[in-house]
Amino acid sequence: MANISTRRALASVGFVAVLGLAACSSGAGAAPAASTGGGQGSAAPPDGPLTVWVMGDATTKFDQLVAPFTQSTGIKVKAVAIPWDSVDQKMTTAVASGDGPDVLQVGLSKLRTYADTGALLTLDDATLAGHPNLATTNFLDGVAGKATAVGGKVTSVPWISDTRVLFYRSDILSAAGIAKPPTTWDELRADAKTLAARGKGQYGYYIPQWDSPLPVEMTWDFGGDIVGADGNVNFDTPAFRQAVDLYTGLYADKSVPTNSDFDQTQGFVSGVTPMLVSGPYLAAAIKDAAADLAGKWSVAPLPKGTTNTSLLAGSNMAVWAKTAHKAGALQLLDFLSKPDTQVKWFQLNGDLPTVKAALADSTLTSDPLVAVYAAQLANAKIVPLVPNWDGATGKALLDALNSIALTGTDKETALTKLFAATKGQSIN
Amino acid sequence: MRTRATPYVLIGPATVLLMAFGVLPILVAAGVSLTDMDAAGLGDLSKVSGAGLANYRELFGDPAFWQAMRNTGFYVVLGVPSVVVVSLTIALLLNQSQSRFFRFLRSCYFLPAITGIVAIALVWGYLYNSQFGLINYLLSLVGLGPVQWLSSPALVKVSVALVAIWRGTGLNTIILLAALQGVPREYLEAAALDGASRWRTTRSVVLPLLRFAILFVTVTTVIAWLQFFDEAFVLTKGGPLGSSTSISLFLFQQGFAGARFGYASAGSVVLFAVIAAVTLLQLRSRRADVDY
Amino acid sequence: MSTTETMTRPVSVSPLHPARRLRRRRPWIVGTVLSLGAVATAFPFAWMIVSAVKPRRESMAYPPHVLPQHVTLEYFVQLMRQLDFGRYLVNTLAVVAISMVGLVLMAMAGYGFAKFTFRGKEPIFFLVLTTMMIPVQVTMIPTYLILNAVGLTNTLLGIAMPTLVSAFGVFMFRQFMTTIPTEVIEAARIDGAGEARIFGQIVLPMSRPILAVQVVLTFISGWNSFLWPLVIASDQNLYTLSVGIALLNQQVATNPSLQMAAAALMVVPVLVVFVVFQRHIVQGFALSGLK
Repeated sequence: MANISTRRALASVGFVAVLGLAACSSGAGAAPAASTGGGQGSAAPPDGPLTVWVMGDATTKFDQLVAPFTQSTGIKVKAVAIPWDSVDQKMTTAVASGDGPDVLQVGLSKLRTYADTGALLTLDDATLAGHPNLATTNFLDGVAGKATAVGGKVTSVPWISDTRVLFYRSDILSAAGIAKPPTTWDELRADAKTLAARGKGQYGYYIPQWDSPLPVEMTWDFGGDIVGADGNVNFDTPAFRQAVDLYTGLYADKSVPTNSDFDQTQGFVSGVTPMLVSGPYLAAAIKDAAADLAGKWSVAPLPKGTTNTSLLAGSNMAVWAKTAHKAGALQLLDFLSKPDTQVKWFQLNGDLPTVKAALADSTLTSDPLVAVYAAQLANAKIVPLVPNWDGATGKALLDALNSIALTGTDKETALTKLFAATKGQSIN
Repeated sequence: MRTRATPYVLIGPATVLLMAFGVLPILVAAGVSLTDMDAAGLGDLSKVSGAGLANYRELFGDPAFWQAMRNTGFYVVLGVPSVVVVSLTIALLLNQSQSRFFRFLRSCYFLPAITGIVAIALVWGYLYNSQFGLINYLLSLVGLGPVQWLSSPALVKVSVALVAIWRGTGLNTIILLAALQGVPREYLEAAALDGASRWRTTRSVVLPLLRFAILFVTVTTVIAWLQFFDEAFVLTKGGPLGSSTSISLFLFQQGFAGARFGYASAGSVVLFAVIAAVTLLQLRSRRADVDY
Repeated sequence: MSTTETMTRPVSVSPLHPARRLRRRRPWIVGTVLSLGAVATAFPFAWMIVSAVKPRRESMAYPPHVLPQHVTLEYFVQLMRQLDFGRYLVNTLAVVAISMVGLVLMAMAGYGFAKFTFRGKEPIFFLVLTTMMIPVQVTMIPTYLILNAVGLTNTLLGIAMPTLVSAFGVFMFRQFMTTIPTEVIEAARIDGAGEARIFGQIVLPMSRPILAVQVVLTFISGWNSFLWPLVIASDQNLYTLSVGIALLNQQVATNPSLQMAAAALMVVPVLVVFVVFQRHIVQGFALSGLK
């Protein structure tokens, strides 16, 4: 135990380069912009152009979406597409230099990590004042305000939502003598077994091996949670054990394909896996890949244990703390949260709104699939905002379950390892 | 005319760039490895504090690190001899004729080396696919399979390494072929005159003349495979269950996905030390019989 | 090289019977073996092209049809439309062009290390070679900070800079340039030629073969670079082709036809460059003293 100041000194020696460079960069990065010092957006002169990071390949549509915004406010918006797979590198380098976009889309699974960096602007009541569309009460309860606060601070506003429902092939189910889609997980397991018995290479259900929220949904449905009252991650609960039995049981029944590169769209379209829990993006993919399948498939609410709480996923929008265009950025967030804008984005890109008024719009409710999603969204929760869900807790969870299911690791051994790996992870 | 500064002017720009983008980063990593730098620390350096050797201690006790080490060892042991032997064989055969047809074949062998990793990921992911991939279909025609190329923890390393061998052979073949073309024809003819078989000529005349080229190819290939990253990253992301994760990929996951920069830096320093040690060992063991 | 002088066997060039017969018979067997290998090696590319012109339904069918039943170019059209292909192409070519400056720097360094003696030569050259051993993942954040400090993020120059010179390239140039006779350089000096002129008008032209190799290697790496363009560019207008294609790689709904078309767009231009330069490539390596 050397004294701490020595160690600190040593560390800073190693840092000289970084420090020097970071100092330079913040000097160079601060553009001489007419900062209105957090004033009310409406009164400020045109503030921009705003750079917005949009995930995936949707910039053309985003440009279309914000065209009226630019028209009415005079603020130019420049959307930059970031491939989902490369978000981390992009974000890390931006945080390191302090030089980022003005507004960015943050996947809920990344929110905690990004908020921890301090790179996102805190959106307290004072900041949001004057932006009626950003009021907490407008949004789905599962993601509004405090629900997605990190360390008590709100750093983002809801943007698009996503949930999980049961997709099923009605033609294949009825051919196998299953009249209606399963409503409980027990029924699902039994039906999956029946469907898998159709022949060699046929399965009843599909579990994406990368889908870490699925076992969490199962745990919720059995009446439990993976976070204790103290905010610490706790997998050592009866409900989680039930979820483990369900998850690994589906594999043990040979109802689920074991290939990691299985394509869920193709599996569903070909009928190899006639049931799976997935999100609205799958519906779009099915329509795109096999339009003639219409009428042979549908969606249903998530099966129940004691309840049927599903995942509330999606993305929020955040403002870069060091932005030179804070007022403009907030104006843009306000615009994006208008019910009209949210409905239009659904029409353009198929993403579900987070604004309740938009979810109730007839454009959405007239679609029977969307009606199921909307109902499910009302009973959905976000994955707990622990640090680095994807890389730590979620990964440990998947590793444990998949090692039982795929390589036959002893259940208690795998669970003990999981408890140890996630010990100390907390939402606080 | 020729001043003392001339050589420095010549080597200056390249050296400065290499120092800035090669040597400086590893020094920074060495510094960072002694701290607990994470995402928060990256944005605000006042949140970073020294951690002494804690990162290294944790690293050596981390089963995932050792799994990645073992995987990397597997890649090197499988990949390096394969690449060297395959490219040497192809080069020897290609050298048998200078005809237009052989030059065309040469291009075919070089093709994978010029292909970007993004394209490779797409093409091989499609070939290996367990639902509609061509390879399993071809195997099924002869009554084999289906093989879980990318899903079986036991097989995935081989599948991934196969792609890397496929991709890594081309450049080395060209290097060796070039070296072969520097071997004077007369030696071969003289050997043939003495009644030496092709195989004997190759073994006792040609290969000794290729010593330096083979050493060069081996050393660069070992370095490349110790840094094995691309193929595993694009095809499997290191899965399933970490069974195709190499050290480089492990570092990348800890650093970028996990935002544990101190920890990842410690791993980088260890990897660098391993590469340097292996390379120096190779050079030393060969120095005796190689003259530049 | 010196090992060749120690060969004791007498050198004979008379056209001899056994050697001739050998050479006439062998190429057929060797040719067949090599052809099989080449087919296996090039096969993924053939499959890529074939699949790129199949409709999606066919490319996802099992069992696969080896030849497309309907030939379609719709995925190439779709790529051109979605990708802003022209702009990505221009950016990619610009990055490649900037990388070519690196060639000159590497050639200069190779010349310096090959033909001059100066203080610190050995340690500096060793340090240069050391950079080959540094894992790429380590360098990313520091490199970004450096580029950011000098204001080169979000520029094409910044994209090209970190890979502008490589130790491998410097080493190859050095190897080659040691074979240039020192007398030629000395003679020019006596005639009063300046160092810049000697380099530009004597050394570089004599290095044409190795330059050709490096042009191709530089083109390949510039063309294929993916992570840097993404990290450095904060403006989509600076994305290169690889990044654009990665944007299309959706996790949920794979469309092999579209992906293969994208891959084909990546591969074909490099292939053309390679075919044009390929004769020089082997020659370049052959003359580099790597034997």
